[in-house]
Amino acid sequence: MTAVARAGAGPIFSAREGRSMPVSETIPTRKRPAWLFWSLVTIVLWGTWGLVSKIASSGMNAYVNQLLYTAGLAPLLVFVAWHVRRNETGDKSQGRRVGVSWAFLTGILGGVGNIFFFQALVKGGKASIVAPVTALFPMVTVLLAVIVLGERMGRAQWAGLALAFIAIYLLSA
Amino acid sequence: MIFGVTMHLWLGFAILALVLWGITGVTQKLSTNRISSERSFLWFCWAMVALSAAVLPVAGLHWALGTLVVVCSVAGGALNGLGAWTSFRALESGGKASIVISLVSLYPLLTVLLAVILLGERLTWMQTLGAFAAIAAAILLSLEEAPKTDAR
Repeated sequence: MTAVARAGAGPIFSAREGRSMPVSETIPTRKRPAWLFWSLVTIVLWGTWGLVSKIASSGMNAYVNQLLYTAGLAPLLVFVAWHVRRNETGDKSQGRRVGVSWAFLTGILGGVGNIFFFQALVKGGKASIVAPVTALFPMVTVLLAVIVLGERMGRAQWAGLALAFIAIYLLSA
Repeated sequence: MIFGVTMHLWLGFAILALVLWGITGVTQKLSTNRISSERSFLWFCWAMVALSAAVLPVAGLHWALGTLVVVCSVAGGALNGLGAWTSFRALESGGKASIVISLVSLYPLLTVLLAVILLGERLTWMQTLGAFAAIAAAILLSLEEAPKTDAR
């Protein structure tokens, strides 16, 4: 499996996407590694998102939740836009246009996915169940990566897929 | 009941979210194969803005919303976006992708803990088992097969 993912929600733009970045394979051994700190912060941020989404869903519909969610995302959008503009390379290639189109589609699908996630919470789904169920989204990514991108699944991923179906069965009980 | 799974309405919506988010895993990959993850994230956010503009007419937005729910909803967007950013930082600061992604896949565990402690949610033992199975499944799904080395 290569760089795929989501952020999440999930976490909207998932960490898997970061695999396309230059990643050092060396891990500092003496002091506590920075990647561990950032990983733990990510868990706290995404884990808390599930909780606040459930609280928000008690007083608004899924569409309003998505609107206000986007408002919360806006400051980060401004920061990233500023950063991207500062590092502008002037590249206007066809590849870039295609890449931007896929990114835009990712946002639309992710946003509609968010609305369904909020709707699950509005319709009585517990945060403690909806969050683990939706966190299984890599099962779809893995299957699509095999079909669309021609990637191969490893043994661990096959086991994960089987376990994902068992998890959905148990969580629906 | 579908394949032995009791189809609650909320579960149907959760599975729809799962499917759409799963598809984004592939579209995101197709995007970052061509542009930087940063630019890809930027256009991802712009699409969120466009979608929000599209749902505005049907959203039924009114001013009688409670302060707490509004704060939680706005905070949700910020938390999710920042989480994406910190996950990038984890990878950029030397974390192996397989380890970082497996580690951050633990995030639902915190949601479960917070929901049980702060919202008073209660899970049956089967649901508790299911939550742990889901987290384990997400970790297994994030593991890549090590490339085969040529023994010759």
